[in-house]
Amino acid sequence: MPLDEDKYPVESDRRRFVKGVVGGASLAGIATAGAAAINSTTSSSGGGGGSVTFRAIENTDGPAPRGMPQIPIELEEIPGEDDFYIKGRWPEVSEVEEQGKTLKVAREDIAGETYSSEWFQYCGVQTYPGVYPDATEENSDLTNYFRYNANSKFTWQNEEVSGGQKMKLSHFSDYETWGNGIGTAGIGKPASGSWRSEDLEPSETMAVEVIRSSRIEEAAQDNEWLSKTTDKGVMAHLNKCTHFCCVPAFKGQAGAANFGASDRVYCQCHQSVYDPFNIISTNYVALPRPARD
Amino acid sequence: MAEDNDSEPIADGSGTGIVAPDDETPTWSERKERTQGLSRLTYEYFERARREDQDLRMESDYVERDVLGFPAWPHEMIRNFALTSFFVGLILFLSATLPPHIGPPADPSTTPEIILPDWYLYWSFGLLKLGPLNPELSILGGEKLMADRTYGVVANIVVVGFIAMVPFLNKGSARRPVEQPFWAGIGVMGVAFAFTIAALSVKNLLPMDSHLLFDLTFLIPPVLGLISYTVFRAMQEGYMYSLNRRYYRLRPPK
Repeated sequence: MPLDEDKYPVESDRRRFVKGVVGGASLAGIATAGAAAINSTTSSSGGGGGSVTFRAIENTDGPAPRGMPQIPIELEEIPGEDDFYIKGRWPEVSEVEEQGKTLKVAREDIAGETYSSEWFQYCGVQTYPGVYPDATEENSDLTNYFRYNANSKFTWQNEEVSGGQKMKLSHFSDYETWGNGIGTAGIGKPASGSWRSEDLEPSETMAVEVIRSSRIEEAAQDNEWLSKTTDKGVMAHLNKCTHFCCVPAFKGQAGAANFGASDRVYCQCHQSVYDPFNIISTNYVALPRPARD
Repeated sequence: MAEDNDSEPIADGSGTGIVAPDDETPTWSERKERTQGLSRLTYEYFERARREDQDLRMESDYVERDVLGFPAWPHEMIRNFALTSFFVGLILFLSATLPPHIGPPADPSTTPEIILPDWYLYWSFGLLKLGPLNPELSILGGEKLMADRTYGVVANIVVVGFIAMVPFLNKGSARRPVEQPFWAGIGVMGVAFAFTIAALSVKNLLPMDSHLLFDLTFLIPPVLGLISYTVFRAMQEGYMYSLNRRYYRLRPPK
């Protein structure tokens, strides 16, 4: 006698058919409800992104997958002063026709390299207001001037300038001798700040690092890219570690010496090391900017 | 077992000899585990002690009753209510006396100098720093099969998977490490690795060379495991001796 003889209801073709129909219907219902829930709670993917070739400060050690993108800079004369503001250069905004749609893109050629806003679309920066190609048209507060941040890892910056102030070339005039006890003195003077992020929340601020160094000056003499994207030894890069998005620093941490990084950009989270004086061409897959209403 | 009539249990091998198992019957693997050495000895002692206790119980005139529990109402509910009130009161008291400690929202545009997860996650944080163990495969032309980041996450699965597998490899019938020195050694190795990998996770704060620390992270645990294995093996004899001594002092042979 089978063990389940007294089972009720009796297993029959009709019952199996009903089970199949009911089971299939409930699975379809769950799948539909799940798809609707996912659709309503996530934002649709926006524009921009994809495989991009960019200029980066080289990643020399640690778990980071690639270097951090360089920001081409330009110096703007301050009227009435013998000084310059340090500005990041934003690529020219134009409208292009792609796949039947008209899109605004920020893209331009510098020394044979395509410089575009997509260089910076990783680590959540793709959602920041400042990274949209036409951000300055929509929010007139946003400018391309580099501005100091308030709590920096550099004593000189905390003492001599205040947060929100525009970076001036004269602040870096002692770049050939400056040192803070970390690594070799005189190889470069760093400052940390923000770019295209005036009056935004800290969670929407594009962190940058500006370094003025004689090494950059020398390298720019016989390098077309560097001569067009740096000036008087001043270079800048987006300061977001490509590993897990921390904010590293050049000569910012004494602990960098343990990892041979006291003369390099060192990330304290997972000990990634970048060489700011070796700017290489590399590529990655940029994340799309979410569509805005 | 035979009833208390004349029929005695057949022990000449003519019967089937099959006895239906009850809850107390050891399984075959349990019997096998108890056939030698220290586990055999402890099993015999426990068995004899249990038997003697049972005989004493049979002799006594105390009537044992099966009490399954106390009724939910009122006994259990009063106790539950008292406990609940105590903890709710504690929460109210603490929330009234301690100041709220929630700081400003996180600022992703700066990173503090020391940035670490909670201490009990250091081991997992350390697994994220296993990059040097990620092999560059010649079959892929010197490329790594997966990024170091992915590798670190997969290492978590390996560790958790091993811990989940151990109960299937050894059910843990031993009551003390000397009974199974091998598995005790494995356990010591695991505990030691939990500490060394945690130390690796804070390598930027430890005042030692990070390459040396990386090597020690994987060298110390097997060495400690081996040492504990040999120590437990050496302890077995003495343990059996003192077990015998204490047992016969407590229950002298008749």
